[in-house]
Amino acid sequence: MKKIETTLESVVSDLTAFYDYKVWEFLTLNGVAIDEGTTEIQWIFSRYGAIDDVVIYYAPVKNSETVPSVVDLIPSAIISQREIVDMFGITVENSEKGLYLDEDSLSAPLATCRI
Amino acid sequence: MWYSVKKAFTNLLSPPQTIDYPATPIKRVERYRGLIEYGEEHCIYCLKCEKACPPGAILFTHTDTPTENPKNKKSLAYDYNPHLCIYCGECVRACPKPNEALWQSEKKPGIGVKEDRVNERWFEVEGRKGS
Amino acid sequence: MGRKIIDIPLGSQHISLLEPIKFRFACENEKIVDVSSDVGFVHRGIEKACTTKFAYDAVPYVVARICGLCAITHSLAYTTAAESLLEGVVTRRAKYLRMLLVELDRIHSHMLCLSHTAENAGFEAMFMRIMGDRESVMDIQERITGNRVQFDYVSIGGVNRDITTDIEKEIRKTLAFIREKTHGYLEEFTTNWSLSLKFKGVGVLTLDEAYRYNAIGPLARAAGLATDVRSETDYLPYNEIGYEMRVGEGGDIYSRNIVRLFEILNSITMCENILGGLPEGEIQTKMKGKPTGEALVRLEAPRGELMYYIRGEGKAMLSRVRIKTPTFASIPAFIEVFKGSEYADAPAILASFDPCMSCTAK
Repeated sequence: MKKIETTLESVVSDLTAFYDYKVWEFLTLNGVAIDEGTTEIQWIFSRYGAIDDVVIYYAPVKNSETVPSVVDLIPSAIISQREIVDMFGITVENSEKGLYLDEDSLSAPLATCRI
Repeated sequence: MWYSVKKAFTNLLSPPQTIDYPATPIKRVERYRGLIEYGEEHCIYCLKCEKACPPGAILFTHTDTPTENPKNKKSLAYDYNPHLCIYCGECVRACPKPNEALWQSEKKPGIGVKEDRVNERWFEVEGRKGS
Repeated sequence: MGRKIIDIPLGSQHISLLEPIKFRFACENEKIVDVSSDVGFVHRGIEKACTTKFAYDAVPYVVARICGLCAITHSLAYTTAAESLLEGVVTRRAKYLRMLLVELDRIHSHMLCLSHTAENAGFEAMFMRIMGDRESVMDIQERITGNRVQFDYVSIGGVNRDITTDIEKEIRKTLAFIREKTHGYLEEFTTNWSLSLKFKGVGVLTLDEAYRYNAIGPLARAAGLATDVRSETDYLPYNEIGYEMRVGEGGDIYSRNIVRLFEILNSITMCENILGGLPEGEIQTKMKGKPTGEALVRLEAPRGELMYYIRGEGKAMLSRVRIKTPTFASIPAFIEVFKGSEYADAPAILASFDPCMSCTAK
């Protein structure tokens, strides 16, 4: 597992340079609540056919910031982007709310940090 | 295609997959995971089972009428909720005296009916634990 | 007159669905031109529960309840991740027994999918037959673990029960029976027109689309994309028990069925090899400490790749459990397959994906 730090401004260009759709499988988008108001967003990839070659790009995100969408590059990211929006209450470009949670449910259940 | 046709005719004569329940009883396998049973006289009150239970179906609470077991110094009473239990057997594996103090039987739990006050009784136990 | 597009929903309750999922198809005549999906009907907040209600050693039993069919893969992926944080080593015997259960799980899960594919082709009798035969696999799982669906077999440190010679004999008998039956299904799925001709060229996912939409599991392998987590990870010794990857061609429903049938046969061989070469030793090792750090584990569930990401801060409760389930990750690929298909084929195509909504919404 290799972790590479990136920022919200540079993530799209970093991933464009990195992602070759015939070499890397996009696993998922992940969020981890770091502290009150900050979430670490991770873009996780694994290499086809290689043993445990997983690369994680991560960027800390303030809840007021907007995460850029990578759907143009990785079409399958749309579903995990929508999940992150629901679970952490952050905004991601072109990803609407309501994949899991209804209008009247608790908002952003995973956003509160427990540590 | 011929395989299917042949199969269709042989199926006419084969016995059904289902059993004639309740005339034929359901076959119970050996080592079926059933109720957790407790032998108070062997218990050393280490509370390991309570700690190990994932859903919290075993609770030891304070009682005014403790048993005569000399190990029971804090006057605790064992409570077990078969309807909360997931029958995983973690408690038996955690128990220092398995098969004597705590073991997994092959019995099935009874049906939880309102008259038995299954929920209310357990909420009282949980309330005692919390206070 | 311009083109007229009609919206037709499929679900959330529909005769061909096992679990609630909703698709809204925009159709032009019979052709589907656009699809939107809603998958969150059975969201239970399990990720949240794993980090607030249950200590790390109880979580294997919680995640096993995400889905009945994949119970063993969920708890196994989680325990593998937790064990790597605790830096414990599992005995070889425990690893072999874990693989045995995962492969048995794959056999009966694929049989369930095949039976529903047959049912959606209108072949009810085949559905009944496969479901009847599948019961024998469930029976041996019950013999091994003590329960028919919720196995609670894997716990942190190893497995909970050992197998005896009696059980081993029974497993071998059942595997031989299933192998004979699977050869029969193979005959049926390739020669019977309801299952072969009808399904050829329907619901096609091309190789390029499979790469682009990150298809996984049998869906990807049927399209010719050689990806299988069993060959991409090494914590379970799959190379020792005769694992072979089966890659199909065409990417249609027919090809997916054939890939699944061959995977059943391969799993049967693997189970027999596991029983033949079962190492001696303990089945449990004690693990102490609290999980610290982060771990990511991938495991091949019957429907594709399952991913667990866990992070612990040295406390009894974990700070994050991320579960990526196979169906969840495949939904963009599903949508792509639907585009351009006939509306009448939609239930059959959906059944051939083997979707698991309880996993998806967790």
